[in-house]
Amino acid sequence: MIEQFCDWLSRTNISVAFQSANWFVPLVQTVHIIAIAILLTSVYVVSFRLIGITRSGQPLAVVAAKSTPWVWVTLCVLLATGILLTITEPARELLNWAFRVKMLMVLALAAILLLVQIRLRRSPEYWTESPARRRAARGIGIAAVIIGAGIVTAGRWIAYV
Amino acid sequence: MAIEQVLTRLQDLSFPTQIRESDWLFPTIETVHVFALVLVVGTIMTVDLRLLGFANKERPFSQVASEMLPWTWAAFGIAALAGMLMFSSKALTYYGNIPFRLKMVCLMLAGINMVIFHWLGTRHLERWDRGRPPRAAKIAGGASLLLWTTIVAAGRWVGFTT
Repeated sequence: MIEQFCDWLSRTNISVAFQSANWFVPLVQTVHIIAIAILLTSVYVVSFRLIGITRSGQPLAVVAAKSTPWVWVTLCVLLATGILLTITEPARELLNWAFRVKMLMVLALAAILLLVQIRLRRSPEYWTESPARRRAARGIGIAAVIIGAGIVTAGRWIAYV
Repeated sequence: MAIEQVLTRLQDLSFPTQIRESDWLFPTIETVHVFALVLVVGTIMTVDLRLLGFANKERPFSQVASEMLPWTWAAFGIAALAGMLMFSSKALTYYGNIPFRLKMVCLMLAGINMVIFHWLGTRHLERWDRGRPPRAAKIAGGASLLLWTTIVAAGRWVGFTT
């Protein structure tokens, strides 16, 4: 089923056109990596605050609010460039277990970021209100750091598995 | 001794040979390289975007820089180390690779840009720390953005030409 879809997609005009331009994949990957750089840095700035590794003069709610547009805009860029790469080489991505693990981790990270942001919007003190919340914040921050590293790792291993 | 001989000796050392012959060592080192460089680029761009007035405008430049740059250096150290290991595994190939040379030149230019900015661009910092940077500082920020984008592009290009 997925094999047939990959087969069909790889023979569409658009896929053939992308495949035949040998500059296309490295160029799109470059945009993808720059977007990852901005996304991961934004995520880590918030996560390190949640964990308590860093403190800045600004409250967590302000740090998180400022990172929000960067996070979602770069996620859209990553999705768009990821789709272009998948159209170019469908079987390389869709039949690859590293790719599938990566997509699950992307969903998990997006859910975490959404949770952190929604709670903060409701109450700026949400993650610092009580010792239990601070513990939860630390756990969530650590999870986001690990998943972020996992996404980069799985992304690179798509080329090797 | 000619450079080619030095590089041949380097890649014939035991660990570089192991990296070249193993199925998992190169991808693992490359993963560390990518993870670290992503953080280098992300933190440097945060500082560049502050200089250009696109992010963190309401915070003093010195605060943004002192928060970001220690992470930049730590990540750069890791990326450079992993990069050297990758280089050592196929030193002759990389040495002759044009995108690789372009990447090294851009890295040097990024370093020079940073030194010049540090010496000249931060004079009278107290006058603009909370506001709009002078044109020279903006040029340094723009140059840094451009150079790091080229470094990423050239790095990716190396992977497609070796």
